[in-house]
Parts: sequence; structure tokens; C-alpha cells
Amino acid sequence: MSKGSNRPHPHNHLFGEKVKPKNWSSTVKRIGSYFSDQKWLLSLVLLMVIISSALSLLGPFLIGVAIDTYIVGENAEGLTKLLIGLIFVFIGQSVSIWLQNYWMIGIAQQTVYRMRNDLFKQFHRLPISFFDKRQHGELMSRVTNDIENVSSTLNSSFIQVFSSILTLVGTVGVMIYLSPMLTLISLSIIPLMFFGLKWITKRTGARFKEQQRNLGEINGYVEEITSGQRIVKSFSQEKRVIEEFMIKNERLKESGYWAQTFSGFIPKLMNVLNNGSFALIAGVGGVLALNGKVSIGVIVIFVEYSRQFTRPLNDLANQFNTLLSAVAGAERVFEILDESKEERDEEEAIELSAVKGKVEFRDVAFSYEGDDQTVAGLNFSVKEGETVALVGPTGAGKTTVVNLLSRFYDADKGQILLDGHDIKNVKRNSLRSHMAFVLQDSFLFEGSIFENIRYGRLGATDEEVIEAAKLANAHSFIQKLPKGYNAILNHEGSGISQGQKQLLSIARAILADPSLLILDEATSSIDTITEVKIQEALQRLMTGRTSFVIAHRLNTIQQADQILVLHDGGILEKGTHEELLNNKGFYHSLYHSQLKQEA
Amino acid sequence: MWKVFSYLKTYRVAIAAALFLTLAELAVELLQPLIMAKIIDEGILKGDLDVVKHWGTVMFGLALAAFAAGIANSFFSAHVSQSYGFDIRSRVFEKVQSFSFVNFNKFPASSLITRMTHDVTQLQNTVFMSLRIMLRAPLLLAGGVIMSLFVNWKLAMVLVVALPFLLFFLRWVLQTAGSMFRDVQDKLDGVNRVMRENLMGMRLIKAFLRRDHESARFEEASDDLKTQTVSSLRIIEVSIPVLLFVMNVGILFILWFGSRQVNLGAIEVGEVVAIVNYSFRISSVLTIISFIIMAFSRAKASAQRIGEVLDTEIDLVESEDTDHSLSVQKGNIEYKNVSFRYPDSEALVLQNVSFSVKSGETLAILGSTGSGKTSLFQLTPRLYDVTDGEVLIDGKNVKSYPIETLRKAIGVVPQEAVLFTGTVHENIGWGKEEATEEEIVQAAKDAQIHETVMKLPNQYETRVGQRGVNLSGGQKQRLSIARAVVRKPKILMLDDSTSALDLKTEAKLLTALKKYSCTTFIITQKISTAMEADHILLLDDGRVEARGTHTELLENSPLYVKIVQSQFGEEDFQHVKGFKQTSST
Repeated sequence: MSKGSNRPHPHNHLFGEKVKPKNWSSTVKRIGSYFSDQKWLLSLVLLMVIISSALSLLGPFLIGVAIDTYIVGENAEGLTKLLIGLIFVFIGQSVSIWLQNYWMIGIAQQTVYRMRNDLFKQFHRLPISFFDKRQHGELMSRVTNDIENVSSTLNSSFIQVFSSILTLVGTVGVMIYLSPMLTLISLSIIPLMFFGLKWITKRTGARFKEQQRNLGEINGYVEEITSGQRIVKSFSQEKRVIEEFMIKNERLKESGYWAQTFSGFIPKLMNVLNNGSFALIAGVGGVLALNGKVSIGVIVIFVEYSRQFTRPLNDLANQFNTLLSAVAGAERVFEILDESKEERDEEEAIELSAVKGKVEFRDVAFSYEGDDQTVAGLNFSVKEGETVALVGPTGAGKTTVVNLLSRFYDADKGQILLDGHDIKNVKRNSLRSHMAFVLQDSFLFEGSIFENIRYGRLGATDEEVIEAAKLANAHSFIQKLPKGYNAILNHEGSGISQGQKQLLSIARAILADPSLLILDEATSSIDTITEVKIQEALQRLMTGRTSFVIAHRLNTIQQADQILVLHDGGILEKGTHEELLNNKGFYHSLYHSQLKQEA
Repeated sequence: MWKVFSYLKTYRVAIAAALFLTLAELAVELLQPLIMAKIIDEGILKGDLDVVKHWGTVMFGLALAAFAAGIANSFFSAHVSQSYGFDIRSRVFEKVQSFSFVNFNKFPASSLITRMTHDVTQLQNTVFMSLRIMLRAPLLLAGGVIMSLFVNWKLAMVLVVALPFLLFFLRWVLQTAGSMFRDVQDKLDGVNRVMRENLMGMRLIKAFLRRDHESARFEEASDDLKTQTVSSLRIIEVSIPVLLFVMNVGILFILWFGSRQVNLGAIEVGEVVAIVNYSFRISSVLTIISFIIMAFSRAKASAQRIGEVLDTEIDLVESEDTDHSLSVQKGNIEYKNVSFRYPDSEALVLQNVSFSVKSGETLAILGSTGSGKTSLFQLTPRLYDVTDGEVLIDGKNVKSYPIETLRKAIGVVPQEAVLFTGTVHENIGWGKEEATEEEIVQAAKDAQIHETVMKLPNQYETRVGQRGVNLSGGQKQRLSIARAVVRKPKILMLDDSTSALDLKTEAKLLTALKKYSCTTFIITQKISTAMEADHILLLDDGRVEARGTHTELLENSPLYVKIVQSQFGEEDFQHVKGFKQTSST
């Protein structure tokens, strides 16, 4: 049974959260702006709507004529002619209806397509820090659930709304002609309707938003749990995640329930208003007829017209429903589009055409949002072609240095100079185009090995890809795969190991052939025999270009020109391997702990 | 697919109520013209104001009643559709939680996600709509035809003949569009997949400046979706003009036939007019019908997709001879001639692997990249089942343990440290729901992460995971170790989980772990770590290359010696050799 009547009123707490219904007319306008480049097609649609509306009036009219003059008048010949004429009218009507839908679907989907692409491009313009605070699945929901909401509305609503308005205007015209008094009575429902719609919209707008948000939450949760399925299974926590899911599911149901119930009122409200006006016309019309003010015929026609009049209103009201949920979806899309972009301060930023690789950090400080100071007082300089190793305990700020250098994040204080240019004044794309990265988490895309390595340089030939794979020591394992370089890696990475993923990432960086090379724990999951082999290749790669290497296994970085020992976000020691060993400081103890465990 | 719709059964009563209310509304709508006629005939024509007032009031009352019915219908319909959506989402999620990894390979994550959200929404909307307008269309249709039959059955035959054709045509549209919308949903998966990949690989994409490349990829997927949606919708939209045309031609036929009959004096003009009127009414229902078809074909496609998930056969289940009273007591582990291949591939990843570890001992597993270390691990908690051979715990095959009991006894720390959105406390406590504050802090201390946590803005209440603070790779690893040890497992499995830790921290960690007295498996690349273990298992290309203690392997295994050399260099190698020989033999 429905729990509708005895349900506690949860909307109070729903409203307590930060879901604000925005000014939705501005959202509608903004959706409209997407139509702008299809104006001419849109006007064709409008034309077809006008034609089909006209023809759908002409048909019944001609049939009326046929009955009056030919059937009643018994003129079989004239009838045949008229019927043939009518066939053309009906063909015209069907064709114009078909065309308007045909074009409208194209327009609507093109609009949605652009919106989707805009959203996608916007994601790429947003800074990395934006993604730190959001769940992947929640963001994905905006592309699927929210935009699809807009999509299903646009397909039908536009034509519906336009033809409704058209019919409305036409009918009201005839009604005024017949009896202004009764027209006024018929129209009296409009303020009521307006008031009712406002009341309902006020309640549903926020709820639809809430519903879309909860749907996003679910999407986020499912994505996360599916990604972490290995953990869920290993820890045998299926029951717990199901319980957590239920809570979110319940919340979605709740918000969906109220959104749907309230918006379900709209057509019903229209119905009662229609029926009311129907009764009003009958009643008032009856009194007027008794007084001889109007003829009975007028009342009869009027009743028929007021039906005609309310049908489009009804249609409009029904559309309103879907419109509300589309607006809620669109709002969430625009929310992202309005996020400030990564490149907002780059108007006078320059492009670097060639980079020698001189890097200098001047008193750099940075903290991740809401975090304590992560690094502070970083001062060091790197000559062109040098290899710098960053060592230190976990959390000391090694990856942060890389993040700052590549402008994934911008330093809060101080300057980072590349060839003497403050990198804040260099376009990010230009800056990164001179760098190649092997990042800590070696991410592979769904696709072939070829495609994944070629990601380093899209124009590379197959031979170059294979060459890079050989240098990275990935060639032998790739060859053993069933389809070799054409083997498809699925994202969950079945079939290849973590270490092999790293080998592919290294091949990718080798292929990129950059001025600056950044290796963040590039070989952490690779066995040491293979590592030694790659080391030679990397050594060759690093000669002549500035390289930043983060590593825990100190033997891999002994050759570095400079070793920076980071500790608690600052530089504790710096120098070459020998210098640091002679210092007998932190590095010294770190190095020796590798050999002498406290046995 | 029907299974998906069968979940509606729970809501029989509410559905019946909703449908009844729709009927009530419809009845009022049909009554109104009659009352109107009464007002005109008996009131106005006879000049009786009382009759006008009386029936006017009745009409008003009925309108209000219809309104009440409509409002009540909203509650019922929303209740049914939302609860139905809730149920399906829950069933699907539960089902997915019982999936094995083989099952997972059949459904990409992005597709599972769309199925659980977008497809369910699709169904939900269809149910809601059905409960409110579905009855109207067929009733109006049937009503129109029946009324015409009463008026003049000969003329009405035109409609009777046209109707089956229309129904047949609608069925065809439903079928065609149904399978086309199926493709639409699949394309939506495609869009979702590219999106997900991009979000996950954002850093890499930015690093390699592949925005344009990715945009092109996305636009392709997006264009696919657009094209497919457009052609599916266009099929649907063909139906209205066609149906309309058929009905209109039918009307023309009625006129033509009617006029001849009138000429013959067989029927009255009024009858022709009446039937033409009914035909027009029937045409006006067509819009609703096409709307219904659209909703149904989308729902059909979505129901199919959801049905596929629900109907998936789980291939890793508890066997019949599972002993439910069994639990892991000591943690002795034995692998007997174990061979393994991933279900979707042909090559054996492990061949004839045998070894045993006694309770409380530590086994280090070494081997080159891709030699099968992680695969070996997965067989103990039964993430996969062996292809050949047996894995025994305390002398009993792992398959005879209830899966949950088995996994509860094992603490796994995977290679990639996955944290969930939530606080540090929640993430560590994830390993053990009933863990106390002290246990969590103790686990964090042992995992060498306590100090780091205390420096976070909200200490144990700091949010981590997809929506949390930035943690370094090593910090994540240690949190995931804490998550495993908080369970005080009988068996602890560390899959290269200390790779991002510096050696000092690692040493402290390993010392702290010793007091847990559990059987420990450590996959590692570092000899220094392996040296601390009781046994070392050296894998090469899926086979056991050597096993024994550090000293034994130094003697017997050239590969092991090579690994040691690769890490210490010749000079230090001698040192290590000497050092270890004197201290541990």
C-alpha cells in the first residue's frame, strides 16, 4: 500500500540541505542559446507546425462541407472530387507532421550533443584540484543522467509548446468573436492556473534538483565500489556496501517520490480547472440563455471550443513536468560549465618554443586545499641537462614538487623558473609539451598496447613504438601476449601486471622524447633485474636533458647530479651521492638502512 | 526481461488503486457531456433555473471529485514507480556484489553504472506514466469503436478493419524501436566509458597534453550516441503521421461509402456524422499512443539490459560440500600442484606451484614482473579458483570454507592502494565494522600512519578517497595496511604494498606486524624485505624457481643471486652475503 498519507514529511530535512532552485528561466534561456546556430532549421520546424495545424483544421472543415453539401445534398460527383482533394490535405498534414518531428529530433540531439561535448571539454579545462573534491561517478552522472534528461525533454517539448500556443491563440480568437463575456469566463482559469503552477513549481523545482543530485550520489557510489571491487571482495564486505547503497537508494527514492508526486499534480490541477470552467460556462451560459443574452447554439459551440482551448493548456501542463526535471538536469550541467577554469589568468602567458631545461625553485611554498603546509621554503636550482633525484620519507612532498613544476597546481608563494621564465607566465600546454612523465599510478586506457604507448607521441610509427618498448624492456612480455602489440588492454587491467603497466608507461615517456623528464616512482613495482636493464635505457634517455627522479630505492639514483633530501616539506640536505654520504646525515642513514636492517 | 517487470507484483494493491482512480477520472470526463445535455435540454430549453443550478452543482462536485482522484493517483503512482525503481536498483546492486571477477569482465564498470541509474530511471518513468495515462488511450480507442458499432455496424466496419492493421503496425514499431533503443543505451555506455577513463586518467592526459585527442575520442562516442538516438526517435515519430493518415483515409472511406448508403436510403446522414466524429476522437488518441510506444520501447530496452545483469550466472559460488561450521583456526597454508589460468585467456599464469607455510610464519614472494605473484595471491581468498591443484588452509581445501568466513580470516593489502570516500577512521574501520577507537588507532600506529594522520586537518575525521585530501602513494599504502591489520587476520597478504615506503618506515612496519602472529605473505621486490622472512619463494614465469631461506637461496639459486646483485652492487653484495650468513644461520 502507498505510504503516501501517513508518511512523515521528509521534505523539511531535504530542504535543509544546500539545494537551491535557481532562477530557472535563465537556465531555460541558456538551453535556448544552444539552438542559436540552428535558427533556420528551427524556423522550418515552426513553419511545418503552422502548416500542420492549419491543415488539421482544414480537414475537418472540408469534411463538414462534404457532409452538408454533398451527402445531405446527394451530389456524388462533387463528393468524389472533394474526397480526392481531402486526400491531398491529409497527405500534406502527415508529411508536415513528419517533417517537423524529423527536423526537431535532429535539432534537439545536436543541441544535446554540443552540451555533452562542452561539458567534456570543460572537464579538461578545470584544474586538477577540482577533481580532488569530486567523485568520478558523480561527475559522470552529469553526462548521462542529467544531459539525457534534457535530451528527452527537448525532443518533444518544443513542438508541443509551440503548437499548443498556436492553437490557444486561434481558439481564443474565435471565442472572443462568439462571445466576449463567455470568453472572459473561460479565461478566468488562467490566473488560477498560473497561481497553481507557481505553487507546484516552487515545491518541485528543488526536489527535481535534489533527485538528480541523489542520482549523482548513487552513480558516484556505484562507480567507486565497482572500482574497488577487489577490496570489497577480499574483505568480504558485500553486506556492508549493500547497506550503504540502500541508504543512498532510499534517499533517492524519497526525493524522487516527492518530485514526482508534486509534479503529478499539474495535469490534475489543469483538469479540475478545465472542468470548473466547463461547469462555469454551462451554468453562467444557462443563466444568460434564460435571460436571452446568448443563444443556446453559442453555448454549445462554446463548450466545444473551451474543450479545444483547454486541451493545449493541458498539453503544456504535461510538458511542464518534464521541463522541470530537464531544467534540474541542465542546471547541474551549467554548474560545471561555470566552474572557473585552469587557464583563467593566462592572457599574457607566453609559449616556450624551445626549452634548455634550467630549473629554479625560489622560496616556493604550497599547501593543498584544507591541508597544512605541504611544502615550504623550497630553494634549489638545476642546470640544464642535470638529473635531480628527490628522496625522503613518504609524505615529504616529493610528488608535490613534480605537481608544482608541471603546474598541476600553482605554488602559493615563491617562483618556479624554467630557463629564467616564471612558469606562471608560461602557458600550461606549452610548458607540459616540453615534459614527459611517468606518473606514480601508471594509468592505461582501454585499447591496444600500440595505442597506449603511442599516447606519448601520437604521430609515432609502429617501428618507433616498438623501439621505445624495447628500450623500456617491455618488448619481451608484449610479444608473449596473444595478439602482441595489438592486444587490447581493458581498463580493469586483466592480463597484465602492475609492473608491466609501469614498463608501458616508461615506453610511453621514452617515445615522447621531451626536454624535461619526470619519473615519479617509475619503477617501484618492477623487479630489480628488469630495473637494472631499464636503468641503462633511462640513463641514456636522461643524458642531455633535465630530469627529475623520485625513487625509494637509492641505488637507482646514485648517478644523479644532485640529490635533494626532502623532509616534512622542506629540503633537509642536498648534494651528490658521495657528498651526502660523507655528511653522515639523513641520507647516510637512509642509505645504510637499505643494507643493515635493525637485525 | 520479464523478470524485471515482475518486481511490480509487490505493488499490486497500489497499482490497482492507481488504475481505479484513473478510471474514476475518466468516468467523470465521460459523464460531463451528458450532464451538459441535461442542463441544456431540461434546464435552459424549459426555462427551469433550478434544474440548471442543480446539475451545475453536481457537475462542479464531480469536477472536484475527479481532482481528488487525480491527486490521490499522483501519490499512488509516484509510490509505485519510485519504490519499483528502488527495488530494481537494490536487486541489481546486490547481484553485482555477488559477481565474480569473471562476471565483472563481461560488464564494463561504466555499463554497470548506467544500467543501475539511467536504465532504472527509464523504467521508473514508464511505470509512472503508465499508471496515469496508459489506460486512457486503449479505453478511448475501444470506446470509440464500440460506440460506432452501435451507431451503424456496417459503416463502423471500416474502423474495425483498420484497427488490426494499426495494431500490427504499432507492434512492428515497438519491436524495431525497442532494439534500436537498446543500441542507444549501449552507446550511452560508450560515452560513459570515455568519460570515466578521462576522469581516472586526468593527470596523465594533462601531462601529455592529450586534451584534443581525448576530445576527438569523446566526440566520436558522443556522435555515435547522437546518431543512434536520432534514428531511433525518427522511427518512433514516423508512427504518428502514418497512423493519422490511415485514420484519415478511413474517414474518407466512411464518407464515400456513407454517401452511397445514404443515397440508397440505407442509413441516415446523422449516423455518418456520428461515426466521422468518433473517428476524429480516435485519431486524437494517436498522439498519446505514440508517446506510450516510445516509453515502452525504451523501457523494453532498459529492462533487457537490467535483465542481463540479473540473469548472469555467478560462476564462483560456494560448493555443495561447503562445511558451514568451518573457520580458519591456525592459518597453515599449503599450495599443492597449483596451476592457474585466467578464465578468459589460454596461457597458464601459474604452473604446478607447490609450497607450504606454517601458521605464524612469513613467506616472501619474489619474481620478475609478470611472473605470477599477484595471481598466486588471489587464489587464497578465492578471488579466483584454481584451474588445477588445491589450495589448503589448515589441511582443508579453501573451497570447503564458507566464502565469507574464509575472507574474514584474511587481511589483504593490494598493490594499488584503493581508498573509499570517507574519513580516515571509516577507511581503516572498513576492515572491521565493530572495530573500537583504540583498535583503529592501534592499527594505524602499527601501519606507521598514526603520526601522519595526526597532522591532517581533522585527524581521524579527515576525508580521504575520491573526494578527500591529497595523500601520497606511501600514505595510501599504509592506510590500506592499517585497514587489513585492524581485522587481526589469521592470514595477512601484502602485495608489494610497501613499494612506496622508504626503508626505515618499512622496517618499523614489518617489526610492528610481527606481533600480530599471523601467517604473512609478502610480495616484494626488495631483498632487504625478503631477508626478514622465514621462507622465500622465487617465481619465474609462473613456476617455482626456488624456495628456501635467504641463505639457502644464495647458495642454490643463480636467479636469486642475480636479484641480490642488482640491488646491492658487487661490493655490497659480499657484505650482505657475509652479514646474513653470520647472523641468521
